[in-house]
Amino acid sequence: MNPLFRSPYLCLLFWLLSLALCFGGATFLATAQEGPNMGASYQQQAIAISKELRCPMATNQTLFESQAPIAHELKGQIFSLLEQGLKRDEVIDFMVQRYGEKIRYQPEFKTSTFALWIGPLLLLILGVGLCLVLISRNKKSTY
Amino acid sequence: MINMIPEIGHILLIMSTVFALLSAASHLIGSYQRNLYLIAFGNRLFYALFFTLLTALCSLVFSFIADDFSVAYVANHSNSQLALGYKVAAVWGSHEGSMLFWVFAIALWGAVINWRQATHSAKLDLENLQADKAYFGRVLAILALVILGFNLFLLFTSNPFARLLPNIPVEGRDLNPILQDIGLILHPPMLFLGYVGLTVCFAAALASLIGGKLPARHLDYLRPWVLLAWIFLTGGNAFGSWWAYNELGWGGWWFWDPVENASFIPWLVATALVHSLVLTRKTQGFTLTTLFLCLLAFSLSLLGSFLVRSGIVQSVHAFAADPTRGMSILSLLVIFVGAALLIFALKANLLRREIDFDLLSKETLLLLGIVILVVAAFSVLLGTFYPLIYELLNLGTLSVGAPYFNAIFVPLTFLVVLLMGIAPLVEWQNTSKAQAVPILLLGFGVLAIGFWVSLQAASGSNLFLLLGTAAALWLIVCLLLTLLVSLGVRKRTSANQITAKVPVKSRTSKQRFIGMMLAHLGVAITIIGASAVSNFEEEALLRMGPGQGKPLAGYILVYESTENVETNSFTAIQANISIRDGANDEVILGYVRPQRQTFKSNAMEMSHAGIDHGFWRDIYVSMGLQLSDTEYLIRISYKPLATWIWLGALFMMLGGAIAAWPIRQARRVEESEQLSTSSSSAREAVTQ
Repeated sequence: MNPLFRSPYLCLLFWLLSLALCFGGATFLATAQEGPNMGASYQQQAIAISKELRCPMATNQTLFESQAPIAHELKGQIFSLLEQGLKRDEVIDFMVQRYGEKIRYQPEFKTSTFALWIGPLLLLILGVGLCLVLISRNKKSTY
Repeated sequence: MINMIPEIGHILLIMSTVFALLSAASHLIGSYQRNLYLIAFGNRLFYALFFTLLTALCSLVFSFIADDFSVAYVANHSNSQLALGYKVAAVWGSHEGSMLFWVFAIALWGAVINWRQATHSAKLDLENLQADKAYFGRVLAILALVILGFNLFLLFTSNPFARLLPNIPVEGRDLNPILQDIGLILHPPMLFLGYVGLTVCFAAALASLIGGKLPARHLDYLRPWVLLAWIFLTGGNAFGSWWAYNELGWGGWWFWDPVENASFIPWLVATALVHSLVLTRKTQGFTLTTLFLCLLAFSLSLLGSFLVRSGIVQSVHAFAADPTRGMSILSLLVIFVGAALLIFALKANLLRREIDFDLLSKETLLLLGIVILVVAAFSVLLGTFYPLIYELLNLGTLSVGAPYFNAIFVPLTFLVVLLMGIAPLVEWQNTSKAQAVPILLLGFGVLAIGFWVSLQAASGSNLFLLLGTAAALWLIVCLLLTLLVSLGVRKRTSANQITAKVPVKSRTSKQRFIGMMLAHLGVAITIIGASAVSNFEEEALLRMGPGQGKPLAGYILVYESTENVETNSFTAIQANISIRDGANDEVILGYVRPQRQTFKSNAMEMSHAGIDHGFWRDIYVSMGLQLSDTEYLIRISYKPLATWIWLGALFMMLGGAIAAWPIRQARRVEESEQLSTSSSSAREAVTQ
């Protein structure tokens, strides 16, 4: 039979591994997408960037979605910055410098946002781990 | 006469506050002393509470219909030109009225419980009957206390009956144009009913904790309340998202807006609660988990309303900001949650139960699912509150938007779906290992297919797409397998029935099984829709004028003409765009008519999207700025399987409704089933 389900520890390992896989994959994706997208034209790049920035005027809309005049202006500016040869990160940095950290829709990974990014993972490992440990201990005591 | 109505309403609101206090007091004292007279008195007082609130609400509705602009709330949110339906809906269109509606809904639900309690306990012996009367007394007492708190909040910080005297405005300001839609009539009441359902669960959990007992029949009472709350919350969230998709003209369907999160977090916890209740009913264990989730769900819904109504977040939904309101809701929250946690800490020991099960069992999987749902709820909460905390700590400003929430939520959903697939296939207590192996193989197969599909995507390999496809496939395959297994079991049992007299599944358990399958299928459908829309959408942003066309995803869209439209409340510029077959542009498949609306009352501009809905795809067109005399900025999107997102939600609600639907004759069957389960499980043990 499959030894995976016989030992609680192997089972625990299995779950933790799949967890790690999922979250590892997610972070991989997040980093992989940040790589320079050489094939795309300036316009596509500008659209992609405008989807990651928040409109300073309209609440909770990205620059791409927003119809506010400032959003149109900024979209145009992103395009011209790209034409000048700036990279994606440089364009975003430029915008952050002008409008503050708030314009970034996806917060950066740094010490002050550590809790934001790690929190859910920590909660998950704690919750699931605690559950499994309690269940297996409960089981042992009845032997 | 008309001018007196608001005063009468105001007095009725004050009276209901007094009734709430009296009802809570007599219920609490009555149930503490086991004084049935006092409890019966409290029940009458609760009806009085209900009727005073009902009439107070009616008088507000009346003021709206009669255009009584001396009432500030009416003057701010209505207009004599407004259609009658919107006048009524405007009652819950903003802060004060929606609070009144919420309080009324709590009273309504309490009155229904009050009215139904006689039928619940018809067949009980005297001692249990007394216990039940005390239990219902405590439930109603806590509901009355919640109403008391909300009423005081209403009266002191946000009175819907406040007047504008003596300078009565001639005309009211209009109802917010965004809200003038069928969505407003339906979406908020549904959400409020969901929140109220959670309030009832909170009251029931506290009643059980205070009593220190949780017999199986009290769980039976709790079950429809939990399910109804869940159904309404599902509906409220889905409807809100549908409304945003159709009305707000952004093209998205979920924005992770703080206010959306405020109603989504309680939904996640309510989902966990539904499953925890299944656990508790089946195993007689996990009582504390269930009760705690009841308390948690209510607390989070209150926290959500704090978020919405205090104006501390930036959101399209945020009600007018007023710091005193925020403080008041916060103190209510602290009082309710503090008291509940205190009672939980004091009484939890009385309800602790030991149960025994294997690591590979339905119990473990359900419990893990519940844990992950709660983790998801707290993660969303963290993301919602992080910018606030960040600012409070003087770290600067920050926004946490959709990219963050997707990165956290999608993997968690994937994990939950993995568990959702396996859990129905696994036995209670323990499962033979032979059963587990094919499931595991199946899982790898599904993952492989998911991977293959994600490679086909235009955007290259995308983990979200992989997770979405694999999750949906896995869930559907597992559901089919569950169906087959259950059919097989039924066939076997009915064949054996003549000789062994093994009972067939009872009607209620069949009903619950169907409900579960439908709701889980709904989740799969929603995941398919969401994955398809977010990964296979094709869009174009272009300048268009009459006579111009644009091919997109096998269709050709042709801008036919620009038209001016005028209705009661707005004037609009409308683009008539025909959708034509890509292969043959003579064939017109339909029209979309996006508009740019300008409201007459406040000159506010809105863009109203034109959508051609279809089962396989939506074509979504929104109209932007005017670029030249005849040309406009037009955004066209081809959204495959978009309607599936809400179709799935409908399935979930239907499943919940089927599971919650009361069958009176079924209860007897269930009782006989309970009697025979001990013998049948003994027989199973022998045959194994």
